[in-house]
Amino acid sequence: MIEHAYLIPLIPAAASFIILFGAKEDPHSPLPWIGIGAMAICLAMAASILWGFAAGTVALPYEQNWTWFSFATTIGGSSFVYPMSAGVLIDPPAALVLFAVTLVSLMVQVYSISYMHDDKRYKRYFAFVSFFTAAMLGLVVSSNLLVTFMCWELMGVTSYLLIGFWFERTGPNEAQKKAFMTTKLADSGLYLALLLIYVKVGSFQMTQIYQFFNHGYMPAAAATVCGLGVLFGAMGKSAQFPLFIWLPDAMEGPTPGSALIHAATMVAAGILVVSKLFFVFLAAPVAMEAAAWIGLATAFLAASMALVSYDIKRVLAFSTVSQLGFMMCALGCGGYTAGLFHLTTHAFFKALLFLGAGSVIHSVHTNDMRLMGGLSKKMPITFVTMLIAVYAINGLPFGAGYYSKDMILAAVWNHSHAIFWILLVAALMTAFYMTRLFALTFLGDDRDHEKFHHAHESPALITVPLIVLGFLSAFSGAGLAHHGFIDKVLPAPTIAVQPGAAPSASAMSEAPSAETRPVPAVGTPTPSASRIDSESSVVAREKSGEKREEAELPSWLSLTVIALVIAVTLLSAAMYTGPKFAAAEWLRSTFAPAVTVLDNRWYLDAAFLALVALCDQVAALAFWIDDKVVDRVFVDGWGLLMRLFAELSNFLDISLVDAVVDGFGGLSKDVVGEGLRSLVVDGQVQEYLMYAAIAFALSATLILTR
Amino acid sequence: MTLAHYMTVSSLLFLIGIFGALTRRNIIGVLMSIELMFNAANLNLAAFDRFLHPSGAVGQTLAIFTMTVAAAEIVVGLALLLAIYRNTDTTYVEDFNLLKG
Repeated sequence: MIEHAYLIPLIPAAASFIILFGAKEDPHSPLPWIGIGAMAICLAMAASILWGFAAGTVALPYEQNWTWFSFATTIGGSSFVYPMSAGVLIDPPAALVLFAVTLVSLMVQVYSISYMHDDKRYKRYFAFVSFFTAAMLGLVVSSNLLVTFMCWELMGVTSYLLIGFWFERTGPNEAQKKAFMTTKLADSGLYLALLLIYVKVGSFQMTQIYQFFNHGYMPAAAATVCGLGVLFGAMGKSAQFPLFIWLPDAMEGPTPGSALIHAATMVAAGILVVSKLFFVFLAAPVAMEAAAWIGLATAFLAASMALVSYDIKRVLAFSTVSQLGFMMCALGCGGYTAGLFHLTTHAFFKALLFLGAGSVIHSVHTNDMRLMGGLSKKMPITFVTMLIAVYAINGLPFGAGYYSKDMILAAVWNHSHAIFWILLVAALMTAFYMTRLFALTFLGDDRDHEKFHHAHESPALITVPLIVLGFLSAFSGAGLAHHGFIDKVLPAPTIAVQPGAAPSASAMSEAPSAETRPVPAVGTPTPSASRIDSESSVVAREKSGEKREEAELPSWLSLTVIALVIAVTLLSAAMYTGPKFAAAEWLRSTFAPAVTVLDNRWYLDAAFLALVALCDQVAALAFWIDDKVVDRVFVDGWGLLMRLFAELSNFLDISLVDAVVDGFGGLSKDVVGEGLRSLVVDGQVQEYLMYAAIAFALSATLILTR
Repeated sequence: MTLAHYMTVSSLLFLIGIFGALTRRNIIGVLMSIELMFNAANLNLAAFDRFLHPSGAVGQTLAIFTMTVAAAEIVVGLALLLAIYRNTDTTYVEDFNLLKG
């Protein structure tokens, strides 16, 4: 099965084209089932790969490449024909992510059949979703960074299309532009990082780049720049501080589309690329530290913003941002396994939360949680599955989020205690606002009787995906953590030699010499390099061994965390369940300034707008300078100078040169010409003859006396 | 009798012809002077032929041709003279100023 892994992204892509071009738009078109079928095939393939790996029948990592095109190039002073390969590289993390992505996408599509049934662009929506998933799958399986980047950009385009799906309205229109431009700004960082990697390594192949870093050939400064560039790209795609401004607005799109963006595809891509290029970060401690702090800021700020919002989808969007901050922070603290583990479990429960929220919105036709309440009586299946999801995301014991978040906290604890405490506060805030969301929506009494009266349980096409995802949210954490399976699936990559440890001069001269296929010394390491390899890999192994041993929270701390989470959950439930919200109202009025700041999202949007306005002002100033100073002084001034010069030249020409010319003309006409004319004016033949004779005599004399 | 003698005679003839052509007031005299210059040239032709190429008679032949042409030319000249005389009633050259431009 795995030899056909290249089909995993291609099948949904083909399906999306069939859906898009296959038939006319029709609100009851059967074509979306093609996308669902395609995704089911992909899910089966991904599941077979993951299952085969777990059972030991499939060897991972699996790589297969085809030559895409080749071109002549010069790298490191030597010229050669570089064959650009494209292919699949499936390592265990990729297999796990493939499974999660295909499953979530399948669920989202099944759900959308019912959710989108009345939309006039029903078919187009499914084409977008299929294509979106295809791009994400391509990003996961690609062995070539350039192809990865291509899929990354395709995802950017498709997210633009999905967020602005109802483009007739102003909100989605603005949101799609905001998302596209913010992520594009970040993409520039990733692109520059890729270019730098290519310039240094001479290849886009993941394995070759890894070997290059593994042997420490990459200079430390270049590695740092690469790491920061990749991080910047991920900051945009995965909505990290301060570029997360687009994600809360992105929920203007259809809710299942939001589920896909938030859970499986778009935002996961940033984390995934960081994890794919984790060795770059290992070689660049500065970038690693930056990732940790940016993730921390994201987790904290987004969680705090979610505390006060009343829009159910907006709370979920902030929660996504916050959870992505957790993952980024974990990666930055060296918790590779923890970060990706959380990515997987988060995909399940966040998809479930969004689909559940969609089910609620579908039922009551509002996003405002103040108008909901008591829906547990009306929507039992949604209620139970949402309960599982909230249980999971809160990190309550034995839910999916419990294992991954515990792992993150452990990784962070080992890295820095300061980060740990701030992240713990963010985790407690998560528990608080998710419980608040749940209590406001499902518990207590109905607040808007009319909406409550019309509320109803959603049809089977909506509830079945909820149940499947609920099952996964409940058991995926425990299942993956069982017997340390997650450590086997997601082994933290290491690099043997830190940059600077290897003599960089010899490395740089040796790396291009191993080229033609620039495989930097995979097969034939030089003696010196291999010696350094063995020495430092021993050191690295010892270090990682130490870390592995203490990658657990101290038991007292672990129990404290669990106790705190339970306490906060109960507190929040108590505050927001009852018919009166005395405590909540009291908090809101007491801390009104803080609430205002949070309501305005820490003024980050305003800050970005101000930044744009400032740039606009600067551009206007620059234009003014160009128009009034540069053009006036240099261009116009130069022109004026030239004109004056030309006038002067013209004057000289007329008064001097022409005068001389005219003078000679006049001289020859008036003096010589008239003089000669007066001599022969009589018409006397004999005079003519005499002149002829004189002329003849003169010329004869001249000739003869020569 | 050397070539120099012939050339002296022909030069004198030519000069007399020039002088006459430039100074005579009567048009008939001018024409006669022109005939003198023709004959100086003919004499030259014959003399060069005689002394430089004694075997041939190209020069003499050419001289005879020249005389023929000269006779024809005189005819034309006299005809023009008659026409001018009829119009102006004079044969003095200084009274002819048709060429004045």
